[in-house]
Amino acid sequence: MISSISAQYNLEYQYNLAERLFTAGDYYDAITEYKRLIFFDSEKKYSYEANFKIGQSYKAGAKLDESIKYFSIALQNSNERELEFNTKIEIIKVNILRRTTLRAFELLKDLESSFRTTEKRNKITYWKGWTYIFQNEWALASIEFQKLDNCKELINICEFVEGEKYSVLFAKLISYILPGSGQFYTGEYLSGTMSLAWNFLLGYYSINAFVEERVFDGIVISNLLWFRFYRGNYQNAEKFAKNKNNKLYNKQLEYLQKNFIGDKP
Amino acid sequence: MKNKIKYPIILYIALLFLISSVKGICQNNVSEINVLTLENRLMFGNYLYKEHDYLRAINEFHDYLRFENNDTIRFKAADCFHKMGRLDEAADNYKGLFFNSTLMSEARLAYIKSKFDERQFASFRNLVVQKTNFAEKYTHEIFRLKNITYLLDNTFLPERNEFIESFPQNYRTDIENFYNRKLHPEYKSPVYASILSAIIPGAGKIYTGNIGDGITSLLFTGVLSYLSYTNFDNDHKTRAWVFTGLAGYFYAGNIYGSAASAHIYNADVNFTYKSDLEQFLNSVNYFLPEFGFLK
Amino acid sequence: MKRILILILLCNVGLYAQTDWERWEAKEVSYQSNAAENHEHEYVSGGSGFILSALKGTYSFFISDLDGDNCPFSPTCSGFFIQSVQKTNIITGALMFADRFVRDSNLFKSRNQYKLVIHNHLYDPVENYLLKTESVKFNFEK
Repeated sequence: MISSISAQYNLEYQYNLAERLFTAGDYYDAITEYKRLIFFDSEKKYSYEANFKIGQSYKAGAKLDESIKYFSIALQNSNERELEFNTKIEIIKVNILRRTTLRAFELLKDLESSFRTTEKRNKITYWKGWTYIFQNEWALASIEFQKLDNCKELINICEFVEGEKYSVLFAKLISYILPGSGQFYTGEYLSGTMSLAWNFLLGYYSINAFVEERVFDGIVISNLLWFRFYRGNYQNAEKFAKNKNNKLYNKQLEYLQKNFIGDKP
Repeated sequence: MKNKIKYPIILYIALLFLISSVKGICQNNVSEINVLTLENRLMFGNYLYKEHDYLRAINEFHDYLRFENNDTIRFKAADCFHKMGRLDEAADNYKGLFFNSTLMSEARLAYIKSKFDERQFASFRNLVVQKTNFAEKYTHEIFRLKNITYLLDNTFLPERNEFIESFPQNYRTDIENFYNRKLHPEYKSPVYASILSAIIPGAGKIYTGNIGDGITSLLFTGVLSYLSYTNFDNDHKTRAWVFTGLAGYFYAGNIYGSAASAHIYNADVNFTYKSDLEQFLNSVNYFLPEFGFLK
Repeated sequence: MKRILILILLCNVGLYAQTDWERWEAKEVSYQSNAAENHEHEYVSGGSGFILSALKGTYSFFISDLDGDNCPFSPTCSGFFIQSVQKTNIITGALMFADRFVRDSNLFKSRNQYKLVIHNHLYDPVENYLLKTESVKFNFEK
């Protein structure tokens, strides 16, 4: 009787020590103490909490693979539905951060099939939205957030991005038709003009050679020069559109990371 | 009367015994659970060591060693440094076990291995030959390590039979194989490749195994030479000289490239040899004994 | 292929629990992605030779920035030329470039010959062509 009380006391003391380190942001040492707690906890009373906290510590140290490993161990030790749900959400969040979004979607689908209350469903939808954001599918993200109340800010951001972003396909297509136009569309006027000039000049030479029945010259100029610049032209249009979109996404992501108040990965 | 006195005494003693034993049980259980007792720190350290969590294990070991002297644990702490690649600290820690220790020979052997892992083989061999702090018990192992260095670096190879006999019987064919690969690597000669390419453009590249590059080289120089020839034939002097220049340029480039490709081929031979050898040596743990006390 | 397997094996042996072999501090994971970076320019280390860098600049501005991603190698042919001149001299550099040009024209590039891939391009560094067996690279380390 007496001995079991002091045993509890000691493990509890150990747990508190680890918690203190965790709260103080000393994650490396916190992990040591949680590990010690797990090692001596023969009744597995702290198996869930300690492993979960180790997962969180690794996440705080940007060690995402390790984090997922320990969250998964915690998941195996969770004996309540609520804990299981929360742990899986944590694993999904780390997958979002790690940009393994396909895995995140897989896990979300799993959750959807086993948790059916509205509250849980809403959470699943919310994290689906975030997964779409990290997949650069802002329109789909917005659709998910619209299913929920209180997501005005996120919806606004998603719609703003959707409105601002360049269509990569469109940029490429118009550059197929008129070299340089895709570059103009994305605001790269100098590059667009140069592309147009090269294509105009070399196109003229190639066609001229064919017209004058200098077939060999025509083939050489069109193949080795004109088509090269023609290809470069639509590749550039695509590249510019993608790069600019990427900048736009990154800016919004930075905003979300720094200024957004609310649940985030 | 006597019985009357005895009875309470027996009772008293029995009671005392009971109390003390209960107390003993209590204390035992408490110390088992108090996670920071020396024994528990050691147990936890050993667990971390098994989990390859070496930095944390070292902390536990060092705290234990502040109060208790234990050569095995000292060795383990050194081994942690060794496993993490912190060779200097490992060496220093092994040195602490060189004298008056039950693991004297083992520590000296491990020290030698840590020096080997620094991969400065010339100074390593000196260290072995000087025999300072030498582990007589492991003479064979240490000299075998010294022999292994000859396979790994670019010095001469010792005499064949003596060399091979220093290794265990069942590995001698493997070792002889490596010995031969080291002695006669299957190199391609850059000079020969260049000469081949000078005679037939691209031939040197085909010789080093880059058949596609060889044929392309031949086509390039061939077509350019043909163009210069026809242009001279048709009296287009300027064009002809341009093509001649280009043909000469690519011809020279082809000779250079063939030599370069032979060098790449040889580097590849070296790399494959080294990685095969390292893999083999790792699989046999450099022919060193595995210490039971580390498990 | 075998070599890559060996490398992976060797790495894995060492990788066990290495995360914690050094103390680490808290660190935030950035939400931003660094995809779609342009890899072209990282190979030209400026500063050596005004003419060379001016030449490269002009070439980039008028041609290579506009004519698409034609070179399957990394560094690209022009980058390779600049580096080879920087590392040797103008004549050797020119010879190295001729050789590279021919290898580039070979339509059947074998992955056995170019084992490493960086940014979807075959890694073919100048160091491999200095006629020194020791300088041939088998990984991306400098």
